[in-house]
Amino acid sequence: MANHFAAFSFVDRITGITPGVRARGLFAVPAALPAFPSCLVAEAVGQLAAWVAMAQVNFRGRPVAGLANETRFHGDVAPGAVLGLAVEIDSCDDEAVAYAGRATSGDALVIELLDCLGPMLPVAEFDSPEALAARFELLRGPGAPPGRFDGVPAPEIVRGAGVPGESLAAVLRVPAVAPFFADHFPRRPVFPATLLLDAQIGLALQLAAEAPDLPAGTQPTPVRMTHVKMRSFISPGEVLALDAQRAPTGGGTGLIMLSARANDKTVSTARLEYAPRRVA
Amino acid sequence: MTQQEITRDEITAVFPTIAATMADALGCDLDDIKLDVSLIEGLDAESIDFLDMVFRLERAFKVRIPRGKIVENARGTMSEAEFEQNGLVTDAGLAQLRAYLSEIPAERFKTPTKVKDIPRLFTPETFCKLVISAQRSAKAAG
Repeated sequence: MANHFAAFSFVDRITGITPGVRARGLFAVPAALPAFPSCLVAEAVGQLAAWVAMAQVNFRGRPVAGLANETRFHGDVAPGAVLGLAVEIDSCDDEAVAYAGRATSGDALVIELLDCLGPMLPVAEFDSPEALAARFELLRGPGAPPGRFDGVPAPEIVRGAGVPGESLAAVLRVPAVAPFFADHFPRRPVFPATLLLDAQIGLALQLAAEAPDLPAGTQPTPVRMTHVKMRSFISPGEVLALDAQRAPTGGGTGLIMLSARANDKTVSTARLEYAPRRVA
Repeated sequence: MTQQEITRDEITAVFPTIAATMADALGCDLDDIKLDVSLIEGLDAESIDFLDMVFRLERAFKVRIPRGKIVENARGTMSEAEFEQNGLVTDAGLAQLRAYLSEIPAERFKTPTKVKDIPRLFTPETFCKLVISAQRSAKAAG
């Protein structure tokens, strides 16, 4: 169980909490990591909200990825940085938790999550309620030792067909075995939605980079991700068909519609807005 | 005021916002959102879509709609035991359901009706009624 509360856990300490209403926390990004993608920053914010929600329902339920209606990307996080996490709970009961949140690095805002909702499922299906309750007390007290996260292996993604600058397909093979499955979750391993979104953002940026209207000397950079909706769990070893389609927009940003399918069933949908940024 | 007293004018007033909200949540054309279309069978909505629609409607109308309580709302003042037994809607419950979902053609109500299949009956009009009920509750609470 060495990976439990380590291999995919992104809250080191809860520094302040008003039960069921708001919380603040910290996560030290290990300096030895090669990078720390924005999706994991979003995961850290979501995990802080999950701790507040689980405590609010006395660890009967835990939220799982459901809806993230808007995520605003403000900047990157460098390994070695300490993330300041904050969440505001809009509502929380045995059905769902609705929340907003943000992460900062130093004085800089790096990500905002707005209008997020996680359906609550029986916690015992995923983890030990007692272990979670004990962990919550540790996080609220002295905190967990930092540096537990060793990174995640990049999933195998094979680029498929598409129309240059308009659409792009790919196949993502979810690993059958990975350390993070012991943490997400011990009793029911699930491929984290944020890792799927990270792969989808990568696919979208590949597509955007090939668009003929991308200004010379620029590269596409994520601005906002909206309409994220997770329709079902993704199990270890599943094969996902990813699709990215450019959609018309009226402003200076581009829009890409994203979907992932498993066994001909849509498992997730999202939209990514990007903007051309001059390459330094 | 009971749910049966929701008027056509009230439904007409909220429907445009509800239709736009549902189209955005479901990723379909606005024209696909008819008052009487089955959300599950006609628009492929799943349980996460119901949560999404309720979540968005709460924000659009600035009301609280208890999540997961749509069936309870349809049940009205009936007790759970009066409404269902062993997962099946009772005769009295079915009469209540037909009255609440008055926009649904009679042939769409199966006998027996399983409680878990009730959402298959839901249409945009069902959500209009939810919103109107929530608006009334908010107004009553001051």
